[in-house]
Amino acid sequence: MAKLRWWDLFRMALRSALLQATWNYERQQGVGWAFSLHPALQRLIPGKQGRCERLAEHTAYFNTQPTLASLALGAVAALEEQREAGAGPDAAAVARAKSALGSSLAVLGDRLFWMTLRPFAACLGAAFALGGMVRGALAMWVCYNAVHLTWRFLGTGWGYRSGPAVLGKGLRASLERLTRLAALGGCVVIGVLIAALLAPHGAPRRLVFQVAMMAGIGVGFVVAQRPRPSPTEWALGAAVLCVAASWLRHP
Amino acid sequence: MTAADPGPAVKVFGTLLAGGVAALDATAVGQTLLAQPLVTATFLGALWGDWTTALEVGMILQLLAAGTLPLGSRTPEDYATGGVIGVGLAVALATRHPFEMYRESCAVIGAIVGMVSATAGIPVLKWQRRVNEGLGRWCEERLRAGDEGALSAAHRAAIVLAFAAGVGWCAVWLALGGWGLARVVEGESLRLSRAWGLAQPLWLGLGLAQLLNVFLRRRLGRAALFAISLVGTWLVLMLRTP
Repeated sequence: MAKLRWWDLFRMALRSALLQATWNYERQQGVGWAFSLHPALQRLIPGKQGRCERLAEHTAYFNTQPTLASLALGAVAALEEQREAGAGPDAAAVARAKSALGSSLAVLGDRLFWMTLRPFAACLGAAFALGGMVRGALAMWVCYNAVHLTWRFLGTGWGYRSGPAVLGKGLRASLERLTRLAALGGCVVIGVLIAALLAPHGAPRRLVFQVAMMAGIGVGFVVAQRPRPSPTEWALGAAVLCVAASWLRHP
Repeated sequence: MTAADPGPAVKVFGTLLAGGVAALDATAVGQTLLAQPLVTATFLGALWGDWTTALEVGMILQLLAAGTLPLGSRTPEDYATGGVIGVGLAVALATRHPFEMYRESCAVIGAIVGMVSATAGIPVLKWQRRVNEGLGRWCEERLRAGDEGALSAAHRAAIVLAFAAGVGWCAVWLALGGWGLARVVEGESLRLSRAWGLAQPLWLGLGLAQLLNVFLRRRLGRAALFAISLVGTWLVLMLRTP
């Protein structure tokens, strides 16, 4: 009976970087999922036709947060290993596990990566950029990828060892703790950033700048409570007002 | 052009390449934040030799981009190429004259074009996703016929499409912006510079408020932490000033 090796898991993690390359409305990450799982199936299913059939099964609809997908990949690879050994689940059970892991990981991953860590990294980058742009870009990139790449590359191993139970209390608690920490860090960094923008190097900006920025924060905070119009649409509206005001003041 | 200056053709080529790489990193490959406006602005600032304009426009687009969430199947504004277009256009226009007022008018134009192109980029992203639907169906069909290489072929095609769309989108906007807006910037630099003085802090405020809202999530403790950090930093900055 073939067993997966660390090299197969590493190749899966590498390929998971392309999970979203063929993202579409019909299957979402389905094709990328099959592509990422390919190294595991290559090891487990020696016959080409059988492997192709299994890969075709895996191109069905799948969607989750792309970084944490590596956990699901590892867990499903473990299920496929059991399935090939004849001791485990059938196709429907694998599909059910995939779907359950996908939606649970999406909830946790969206909150951590998209709604907290990425904004936190952006604030940190912007704060560092005030002292040098390269420093800012590096701070942002390193801060995000320290977490993102760790989960992406170690996730397949964690998922493989734990199987579908990978999202037990321990991992869930760690993800939630990380989310909370990033949000608290974000509150601190954004305070520092606003103060540094209002008084760079201790020299307060012009009153117009300070008033306009505080007005922007006030309006932005109120409009952030509604999904529409988007922040970009509000920013474009503000642009129209500012250009019109400068034209009216200096016709 | 000095010995270290790569020349306009290389700069334009580098900007378009940055657009392609950003389009790839945003969704298709990696999602490592290389596509974020602050990172691409750093590259463009170094390429065009204008750090100030790149930082100012890049930071505004970055704060707005960070509040744009790609949740579920929602298609968010395309700030990957929008960031390259906005900053690229601003620094490219700003190289024409060395005056501060002119530079500021380029910055306001760059930021606006960046936002508009990011919003207008949504249909392009949707189009790519619809093309990928066909690729997905083709891939399953080929796999069922025993062609294992179909997965790699589909991925290669999708990556080439994303890169080409990124480069093409940037090329169109930079060409149109460089051709149509250069005269506007030259003729109206006084008014545009005044508009920048008002719009820059407003945009920064709007972007920061979106992010603050994401972090606070209506928790009083977090709001207190933010207030302490703001007032504390303000006091430190003021007290350290001679």
